[in-house]
Amino acid sequence: MATHRAHTRVLDLDKVRAHTLPNGLRVRLLPDRSAPTASYYTFFQVGSRNERLGTTGISHLFEHMMFNGAAKYGPKEFDRVLESRGGHSNAYTSNDVTAYYEDFAPDALETVIDLEADRMRSLRLTAESLEQEREVVKEERRLRTENSIFGLMEEQLEALVFLAHPYRWPVIGWMDDIERITRDDCEAFFRTYYAPNNAAIYVVGDLDPDATLALIEGHYADISAGPRPAPVAQGEPPQRGERRAVVRYPAQAPALLAGWRGPAARSPDSAALDVLQVCLAVGESSRLRRRLVQDEEVAVSVSIGWGWRIDPGVFLAFLELAPKVKSARAEAMLWEEIDEVATKGVATAEVRRAQALLRSSVLHELATHHGVAHALGQAEALLGDWREAARALEHYAAVGPRDVKRVAAEYLDPARRCVVALDPEVKR
Amino acid sequence: MSAPITLPPIHRESLPSGLSVVIAQRPGVPLAAVRLVLRGGSSLDPPRRSGLAHLVALAARRGTRRRTGPEIDLAVESLGAEIGAGVDEDATYFGLSAPLEELPRCTDILADLATRPTFPPAEVKRLQRREIAALAHDLDEPSVVADRAMLAAAFGDHPYGHPPEGRVRDLSDARRADVVAFHGHHYRPSEAILVVVGKVEVSEVLSLVRRRFGAWRGPDGAATPVRAPAPPETQVVVVDKPDVTQSQVRIASPGFPRKSPDYVPGIVASALLGGGFTSRLMEAIRVNRGLSYGVRSRFATSASGGVFFVSTFTKVETTAEIVQVALDETARFAEEGPTGDELERTKSYLCGLFPLSLETHDQLAEKLADLALFDLPDDDVRLFRDRVRAVGPDECRLAARRYFPLERRVVVAVGPAKAIARSLERFGPVTVIPARKMV
Repeated sequence: MATHRAHTRVLDLDKVRAHTLPNGLRVRLLPDRSAPTASYYTFFQVGSRNERLGTTGISHLFEHMMFNGAAKYGPKEFDRVLESRGGHSNAYTSNDVTAYYEDFAPDALETVIDLEADRMRSLRLTAESLEQEREVVKEERRLRTENSIFGLMEEQLEALVFLAHPYRWPVIGWMDDIERITRDDCEAFFRTYYAPNNAAIYVVGDLDPDATLALIEGHYADISAGPRPAPVAQGEPPQRGERRAVVRYPAQAPALLAGWRGPAARSPDSAALDVLQVCLAVGESSRLRRRLVQDEEVAVSVSIGWGWRIDPGVFLAFLELAPKVKSARAEAMLWEEIDEVATKGVATAEVRRAQALLRSSVLHELATHHGVAHALGQAEALLGDWREAARALEHYAAVGPRDVKRVAAEYLDPARRCVVALDPEVKR
Repeated sequence: MSAPITLPPIHRESLPSGLSVVIAQRPGVPLAAVRLVLRGGSSLDPPRRSGLAHLVALAARRGTRRRTGPEIDLAVESLGAEIGAGVDEDATYFGLSAPLEELPRCTDILADLATRPTFPPAEVKRLQRREIAALAHDLDEPSVVADRAMLAAAFGDHPYGHPPEGRVRDLSDARRADVVAFHGHHYRPSEAILVVVGKVEVSEVLSLVRRRFGAWRGPDGAATPVRAPAPPETQVVVVDKPDVTQSQVRIASPGFPRKSPDYVPGIVASALLGGGFTSRLMEAIRVNRGLSYGVRSRFATSASGGVFFVSTFTKVETTAEIVQVALDETARFAEEGPTGDELERTKSYLCGLFPLSLETHDQLAEKLADLALFDLPDDDVRLFRDRVRAVGPDECRLAARRYFPLERRVVVAVGPAKAIARSLERFGPVTVIPARKMV
């Protein structure tokens, strides 16, 4: 049990080997032999923000297509080969990025590189596999959006917060667009966004950096660079008053979702909003949990979602209310609590509590090779520099009570809030 | 294959009170993981008091002689720590994740709330109200409803058959005296295991544990084991949710207890049928037919029994089709067994992923707590991969024949009864239950 003061340095990035191939592919390798595993992440700089109406959801649908066969490893081979070598793989698509990973025993490294390079070089897009994945994605949408109360409400909220920006539509896309995406759309998408110059690879774990870099060069160097992707149109108009929506659904209890447009991830305010998030809703002693859940019993749960995004994102608050509570009553309390922080600020002790909890949460994330590889990729994709992965705690440590008050007042302005209320319909 | 599985140095000791202490020393991030596990969970809920063990675990942190509930919350969170509490059918769990340097202070609080709670009446009442309100939201989650319905159908009146979080009526009827009595009777050091993992000094942790837990006393006598559950009758349960556009589906059959010799062959057989992305169910249901986004199978094991189940979901129109495909695949597997390639791939997959399940302090603490809870030796971890590699095709097929849902089985579908009930009649006698009955 060390008694030294909590330090802010959590990742030793001096050991990172960073290199860019002539075709633009960025490679970052971090050896760490503390566990006999390795994690391999490929980040493509494309997400729903790069889409347009008519083919919304293509980034996510395309993510599914990446597992359906390429020139060397044909249909059904990717996972089969990987699993037979003791590894596993998955991927996710967000508003900003599409990321693929493999976790595996170190002796499977070359196989993983071969599999990933094969699909970046020569993905095969067939009409048959597109139709199958389309059905799978429709089930995914039914699961996460149509039959999920939070999913239904979130879809409405994003469409209120953004009038013009592509963050307006859900990552999984509108059902009609999922139906409409063609093989040609996918081909064009692949050529533009899956070229090596739009990608970065992060390998962390039990590895030799020189040998790993040589393997990656050997497998990827002959893949041609692609065109530069079109910039994402900005131009979101300013919000001049509250926006509201009601979702009617036969639920057992009401719920409330509120959201405000925040800053871009690169803004220095992002870290202050993380601290605000913890002060408001992380832990039983946070302001909203104590007032709404414990003292007044209007809510059974309160959570805040402040996810960093490339362009200005959303700070949202989600309340699951007790069955007979009037939504308006809970809402009034929520506004009061936010107003309190925006006008009177928070105590130094609350900021310290938030910093301590954020430090633990960063340490948890960095406790695995997978977590470190992801943190490096996320930092580079959103902030432009993988080194930022090691600086999170410095940013949190620099936040003071005044910053928390300022960002609450600036971003959580009542005139710029959006509200989605769930109205549980009368049971039939 | 990669290096052998090694566990970090582990120190085990029993305090005079009977409390088992397990300390694993290892480097890594400067956090410590602590688990306090008590034998006895929701299967100890008395009749018409489902959810009591769960309520006791939550209420324990709402006040002690030295601290009120809000003081506990603030003290723990100000140190950057979290304390969680909950139950499963066999055990009650308190989990602590703390910055290494705050381990002593956090352990002090953990000991206080687990061994000397005062259960303030107003806090217990408030928790009851909150848990009941939370069940309303559970009812809006089709997958939660499906899991509850499956347990009820697979185990019936057996103590494993009710949901650990309880039912609305039982939670409403519980009194503070029930809570106090449950704690007094079941929270005893002789039935408890304390696990600490991190870059710690064993002697320091031991003296800390002796100071904080040394005075803990409880009634004598060992916990009575739960009787083995009887197999269910073949049946179909449709939980009616008229407005959903997708049915949640579960297909269950009797499994085995955690200590069964069938455990490893069962895991291999289940992984092959419904484990990774290349499992037979995934291929038949997702890849070949696009019926669902996900399907998996698993053995859920407990001290006295277990259940094997397939879980998936599909649009309302294809509910019966997905059940049929899953049952056909299951029957084909039990009949023919695995191919050589499939078996080798599945074993490599399980062996390759195993080290990933021990990577963090929390994961290791959980594993060590499980070993102690089920009286399993460290070999269970060290030799896991050897045992997996030794499973042959016949053993795998035998596990499938014994436990997969071939004859005795329960099919649960949560969806609009009007649209699906009739189509499910071919799988057994159908009972339709309104969703609200599930809480």
